[in-house]
Amino acid sequence: MRARLLNVVLAHGARALCLAAIAALILTAALAAVGERASASVLTIDSAQVVGEGADAHDRAAEPTLSLPDDWAMTRPRFDGLVQYRVRFDRPPDAGTDDLLVLYVERVCSNLEVDLNQQRLFSGGRMSEPVAINCRHPQLITLPAGLLQPQGNVLDIRVTGHALQHVASREFAAGLSALRIGPRSALAGEHAMRMFWNVTWLQLTAVMLAVAGVLMLVVAGYNPREVYFGYFGAMCIVWALLSLRLWLPQMPWVHAVTEYAFCIGLATMVALGVQFLLSYAGLRSRAIETALIVQWLLVPLTLILGGEGRLFAVATIWYVLFCAELIVAAGLYLGFTQRERNQDYWPMAGVLGASALLVLIELGSQHDLYPWLSRVLPWPMLPILLPLPFLIVAVRLFVLFARALRTAESGRSALARRVRELTTEFEGNFSQLAELRVEQVTEKERKRIAADLHDDLGAKLLTIVHTSESERISTLAREALEDMRLSVKGLIGKPMRLADALADWRAETVARLSQSNVEVDWLSPIEETEHLLPSRGFVQTTRIVRESVSNIIKHSGATRCSVRCRVSDGYFAMTIQDNGHGIPMELDGKLDRGLGMSNMKRRAKQMRGQCLVQSGPGYGTVIALTVPL
Amino acid sequence: MVRRSGGPGVKNVLLLEDLPETRAWLKALVLQVFPDSHIFEAARVHGALELVASMKVDLALIDLGLPDGSGVDVVAAIREAHPQAQSVVVTIHDDDDHLFPALQAGAFGYLLKEQAPELIAEQLKRMAQGEPPLSPSIARRVISHFASQTQPQERPQNMPHVALTDRENEVLLRVAKGFTLPEIGVQLCLSRHTIADYVKQIYRKLNVSSRAEAALEAQRLGLFRR
Repeated sequence: MRARLLNVVLAHGARALCLAAIAALILTAALAAVGERASASVLTIDSAQVVGEGADAHDRAAEPTLSLPDDWAMTRPRFDGLVQYRVRFDRPPDAGTDDLLVLYVERVCSNLEVDLNQQRLFSGGRMSEPVAINCRHPQLITLPAGLLQPQGNVLDIRVTGHALQHVASREFAAGLSALRIGPRSALAGEHAMRMFWNVTWLQLTAVMLAVAGVLMLVVAGYNPREVYFGYFGAMCIVWALLSLRLWLPQMPWVHAVTEYAFCIGLATMVALGVQFLLSYAGLRSRAIETALIVQWLLVPLTLILGGEGRLFAVATIWYVLFCAELIVAAGLYLGFTQRERNQDYWPMAGVLGASALLVLIELGSQHDLYPWLSRVLPWPMLPILLPLPFLIVAVRLFVLFARALRTAESGRSALARRVRELTTEFEGNFSQLAELRVEQVTEKERKRIAADLHDDLGAKLLTIVHTSESERISTLAREALEDMRLSVKGLIGKPMRLADALADWRAETVARLSQSNVEVDWLSPIEETEHLLPSRGFVQTTRIVRESVSNIIKHSGATRCSVRCRVSDGYFAMTIQDNGHGIPMELDGKLDRGLGMSNMKRRAKQMRGQCLVQSGPGYGTVIALTVPL
Repeated sequence: MVRRSGGPGVKNVLLLEDLPETRAWLKALVLQVFPDSHIFEAARVHGALELVASMKVDLALIDLGLPDGSGVDVVAAIREAHPQAQSVVVTIHDDDDHLFPALQAGAFGYLLKEQAPELIAEQLKRMAQGEPPLSPSIARRVISHFASQTQPQERPQNMPHVALTDRENEVLLRVAKGFTLPEIGVQLCLSRHTIADYVKQIYRKLNVSSRAEAALEAQRLGLFRR
């Protein structure tokens, strides 16, 4: 949830940033055009007299007029130091008195002092080493009305700067642009605009990149596997450090130190950039890392060995090398993403391609390879555009990180869900298993009891059956054995289909009665019933039936027996009727026969049924058994 | 056809029973029914198997629950070594859970030990004459056994298909419903001997089909292991 929000915010942020930059550029161009039109009352001075060079600027004789802008690399190669320009101008006639007159210097490098009519008007900082470096700062200097004469004003501009050979990049080579004098209202807007793009914009992006860099270092610190975050974060921070001189024009050391530091910073950035691309593509190599470190050490070494005079030349060689390295690393990275992470390919290809183009153009413009470019664009666009790819990549990395976070979060919740499911399943299984186990143990124990009964009690009863001299005792033992077997069956038996039970009773009854020459008429029209009889019910009923049959055989003297079975209203009913001589009154309730009768009734009662015995001399005995199903 | 082996054919009788008293009266009983027979006694499965391997057996009375194993193994060994011999289970258990495996292994009938000696003698004589008993619960087990056998998708090509004839099925169904064999004979207008032959055939087919099933099971286990 949080990750998705972050994702959306970042994606929108990146888009908004790009749109804002584009909109600002368009707006600037439009305003610049407006500015051109409004500059009717602005005096443009495009030539100046050089009145002195070097430390003795004041003592030298006047020199011929030079056209402005004056690029020292063209007019005085290898010159370091101070040049004094003198310009004469008349107060613009149509300049209103209610508005201040200002001098606008689009570019002066490194620093300047301005005198108007021999009066010190402005100083940009120290003019001798360590010189203040204001190369990117446009200057807007108020010309006080009190010092101005209607005609023949003398403007002395002392510029101090360094030869192209002594700086690490062309924008810090000395020079002076054309001068413009006009009302503040006409020039302040342009100055502000240039100030914004040359300085404030870069400061802004530097701050943004610094913040992004710190965040990325934090991310990398917590996620050691995503080391590319660390490289990119460090790169952003180095970029921010390199733009430090926008804040601090006045460095406490000689400018050469700054230039060396700039080169070393660039080398660091390139090393980090290459490492970022390679580790992002999972192509890190110990050899390349070592080579980058060696290169990082070689950069200052070669610069020092090359000497101050060849700083720009040596640095240029390095820049070309850096470019080549970055392009190769980008190529490797893109090749990898095309294979492995296709969704990354096009965005990154766009950003890297644009960056490469920008870097190449920047490299070319360092050598003034495309002079037309500066004519097309109102001012150097490249330093303005260069931070953008950085920001886009930074945003993209955060988006990826947020997405990974979301994936991880959803993965974690899915995992948690799965764990919950498994736990529930496991608990279910476990309780099932436990139940099963209880059943199994019970079953096993019942079987053990049954086996014990059979083996111990059964064997003893069997011995009695076959060794007893008394027929009565062996009969009793046999019956005890049968009872025991039935008990065991009740103990371990499963529910029985009523039809099967009826078949068993029928087979036994018919076999026994036939053997005793009693004719049997068995009618059970419920053969197909699907009713189930619990095993205890089966056992009890079996005993009742068996006892009835025994009574008929032993005592009734019957020749015929009829059995009727039916099922109705949840009851099973069985009637056993014989044609014997019934139960003599004097025997009822006595001896084993009477005992047998009461046993039958008790058993029926145990099943919550009933057993009625009707008997009378002459019409035999009727046993009516009713058992609930 | 089926040899109706009678009393005179019974020479060597194997008696497997672990309880000495029971063994003693069973021996007396056998001698009473088959006076010319030789009785070889065993109290353990191990000893019985040795006897089966070393001599010709005509009749075997086999207890099921023995200290060193189950009498079912002896039944199977006799079925293998002496196909013409009759194995009769003599048991205290009358439930088909105990009896059915023995019948599947090739037993020809069963006797309940606690029955009166005259009854046992009568049943033994009948069995020796080829009239084995068949209770409703055993009949039901046989029916469900053959019902599961007739599912053809389970049976491989080489397995013999053992099926009951219509008449055998008819007899079996009637027994399962509780009719006694004499009653069925009356119902189907068949002689006592014909009914007995059907029952014997049912026992034989149960054995053959169970052996095929066991072989199939073994084969399946073998396949599984491979």
